[in-house]
Amino acid sequence: MSSTDKVEQQTITLVSNDNIPSQVALKVAERSMLIKNMLEDIGESAIDSPIPIPNVNDQVLKKVLEWCEHHKDDPATTADDDSDSRKKTTDIEEWDQKFMQVDQEMLFEIILASNYLDIKPLLDVGCKTVANMIKGKSPEEIRKTFNITNDFTPEEEEQIRRENEWAEDR
Amino acid sequence: MSSVATRTAPDVMPQVPNREDLNATWKYLEYGVDKIMVDLKNGIDMNLYMGVYTAVHNFCTSQKAVSNTATGTVIGGAHRGAHLLGEDLYQNLIHYLTGYLKNLVKLSRTHSDEALLSFYIREWDRYTTAAKYINHLFRYLNRHWVKREMDEGKKNIYDVYTLHLVQWRQTLFNEVNEKVMDAVLKMIEKQRNGETIEHNQIKRIVDSFVSLGLDESDSTKSTLEVYRFHFQRPFLEATKVFYQAESKQFVAENSIVEYMKKAETRLDEEEERVTMYLNADVNLLLKRTLHGALISDHSTILRDEFQILLDNDRVDDMERMYKLLARIPDGLDPLRTKFEAHVRKAGLDAVSKVAVEADKLEPKVYIDALLEIHTQYQGLVKTAFQDEPEFTRSLDNACREFVNRNPVCKSGSNKSPELLAKYADAVLRKGTNGAEESDLENTLNQIMTVFKYIEDKDVFQKFYSRMLARRLIHTTSSSDDAETSMISKLKEQCGYEYTNKLQRMFQDMQISKDLNSGYKEFEGKLVEPGDARPVDASYSILGTGFWPLNAPQTDFTPPAEIAKAYERFQTFYNQKHSGRKLTWLWQFCKGEVKANFCKNQKTPYTFQVSTYQMAILLLFNESSTNSYDDIVKATQLQGEVLDPALGIFVKAKIFNMSPEGDKPGPGKVFSLNTDFKSKKIRMNLNIAVKSEQKQEVEDTHKTIEEDRKLLMQSAIVRIMKARKKMKHTQLVSECINQIRIRFLPKIPDIKKCIDILLEKEYLERLDDDELGYLA
Repeated sequence: MSSTDKVEQQTITLVSNDNIPSQVALKVAERSMLIKNMLEDIGESAIDSPIPIPNVNDQVLKKVLEWCEHHKDDPATTADDDSDSRKKTTDIEEWDQKFMQVDQEMLFEIILASNYLDIKPLLDVGCKTVANMIKGKSPEEIRKTFNITNDFTPEEEEQIRRENEWAEDR
Repeated sequence: MSSVATRTAPDVMPQVPNREDLNATWKYLEYGVDKIMVDLKNGIDMNLYMGVYTAVHNFCTSQKAVSNTATGTVIGGAHRGAHLLGEDLYQNLIHYLTGYLKNLVKLSRTHSDEALLSFYIREWDRYTTAAKYINHLFRYLNRHWVKREMDEGKKNIYDVYTLHLVQWRQTLFNEVNEKVMDAVLKMIEKQRNGETIEHNQIKRIVDSFVSLGLDESDSTKSTLEVYRFHFQRPFLEATKVFYQAESKQFVAENSIVEYMKKAETRLDEEEERVTMYLNADVNLLLKRTLHGALISDHSTILRDEFQILLDNDRVDDMERMYKLLARIPDGLDPLRTKFEAHVRKAGLDAVSKVAVEADKLEPKVYIDALLEIHTQYQGLVKTAFQDEPEFTRSLDNACREFVNRNPVCKSGSNKSPELLAKYADAVLRKGTNGAEESDLENTLNQIMTVFKYIEDKDVFQKFYSRMLARRLIHTTSSSDDAETSMISKLKEQCGYEYTNKLQRMFQDMQISKDLNSGYKEFEGKLVEPGDARPVDASYSILGTGFWPLNAPQTDFTPPAEIAKAYERFQTFYNQKHSGRKLTWLWQFCKGEVKANFCKNQKTPYTFQVSTYQMAILLLFNESSTNSYDDIVKATQLQGEVLDPALGIFVKAKIFNMSPEGDKPGPGKVFSLNTDFKSKKIRMNLNIAVKSEQKQEVEDTHKTIEEDRKLLMQSAIVRIMKARKKMKHTQLVSECINQIRIRFLPKIPDIKKCIDILLEKEYLERLDDDELGYLA
């Protein structure tokens, strides 16, 4: 089993778009399907050279890698796990809740990064967090929360309300 | 797209594009895609890899990117949620792949046969490997735009990998598959002709064809459609043509046996071919094709050969033929018919050979002849026909036929059961051959083998029970275990009712043993010291109805010497079981007497005699000469019993008869022959006379007829009681069904029985040929 041990211990270097390298265990980095597929395709040679991550800055990358580190031993989700249970619940496990207690800008950065890096579970957690921020709020409250200006005319607003009446929680 | 035509990637890598510029983005992507497609062996630069992925991502996530085809939908799309970009990339990719593949088609035209196969395989490998990379690089497109399109039920949208396969099939495969298949078939034909080929190539082609089978309704599933249509169909057709030609020629030039070997080899080879390089899906159809060309087309000449193989005992070849014909539907039926006829004929021939001296036929000779044929062909069924149930049935049919209807059974089928019962008697009787225990068991099993085929099982039962009775009474059974074993075998085949009486007979003998020891005790107490020593005797109590025995038909006055003894026993028995009536079956009693009348003999002779004979002999204690009338008067015996008994004494020279003449009878005088001499000290004079035996056989047959009538009548009554009303013909067939396990009833006999029952008013005639039951 020494070969597996070796793989476990192997580290790679990720370079953020602000040119800051991060050493990270291979296993942790492979939570990103992008990196996993890339290493698979390019092979051994890629492991030794720094890997550019053109769309993510160091601050966000570190945060994302922190999540990956914590979740490195999670069972791999199957190819496209769209099972109902995952879709329906907005429950978030405790560690993830704490992890997501960041400012809004960071929250959206994490979501974008996980989308880009193809880390589906993290993307889910991010979206659920946002969903929970919306849940139970009036449109006005939501606008306030996300700092959105209302650009609908009252007529437009009325029409949208009618169209979505069926979805109202009664 | 000049790079496609030249098949070399430009050396200069374009700059990472502006995310909103479609043309720049595609130019960049095309460079990467083409590098992967054409030049992957030199490795791909990580920066390019990440760059392409990022470019796809960035383009798809750019807010302002304006596609040249979907301008209208951007605004309209606002209503169905976020608009996803990506269609332009997808279309451009299709365009690129089409160009790339068209070029490959052009290149393929310069190759043919094996070179074409190599080309196809090489390009297929290169293409599918590249497709995997590109699929990864376009994963963002797959995850969002493609997924959305597919979720919305758009047709002909595939994930990027599948898109590659679809393009390959549309652009390249449709152009070249026939030529590729031609090359494949040529190779296979070479191999069939004994050449070595690189069959791995064919396997790769098969795999490629299989991969191209995409389920139109669900791209995650694959079908075998493409493979079936473009590979299997021509392959099977070529196979058929090849083997039709080959087998036709081979049959013309070789013997059938040789052909069977050839066909066997070919079938094995083809089976191996499937596991070696074909898809297992072809198995069934390939077999059907092969069986058609190699077996069905020649089944007539194969079957014609079967009789010759049978006649010459060619077991291996018959096995070969069996295995071949077993592969085609209904292939074996004609063989079975021939086999059945052959066995029947062999059986009849065997019986004819031994049946020369019809009446003196030894049971053993006859049964051995039957068994030999059965054993021989059962062996054949086992080795050549793999114990196949249908062949076993043919064997059984044939055996049943020649066991019940053969030259020995001309007068009716009941000669076989009679001879079998006699054979069983000979086997089970003491001292006949002194067989070993295991041999005995084997012989019993053989008897059961023949028994299984006997139709008139009731006849066997009758004879068997008579002979069992005799064995038990005369204690001539060789072993109780063997008797019990035989009875249980019969019971197993025919049920409790069939052997009930046999078992009771056995029990009676056991009970009698205990009774005798009880009697000894009783008798011991009676005897006073001065009395003459009582006759040493044992008694068997046989239940009326279980034993096939009748009361004696002659009067008889037992001699005084034994009268006392049997009267005492009668008293004892009445004490034990009051109200039971004992009938003495004198004709089955026997005893021993010591003869000391001979002048020249110191040790007296011991004669084993029947009770009747004993009564006669004892008369000579009083006077050494007795006339026939004296004897009749003293014993009350009737002529038909007395005459043979006397005859035996005269023949043995114990009596002198005067005047001399052929037969004892009235007017003759008998005197003891004091010069009697014999080599043996013990002599058995209790010999059944031939005519008696014959009489017994006839009697037995007569009782069988009677019993059958009763059996049929009781079956009819049973059926009618249950059904109340029934059609005449239905009743007859139902009746046959019920009785068949015992014997095959004749329809006129059943009708006769129905008439009897109508007369006795158990049944009544109703309208419409119906019969009714009268309670």
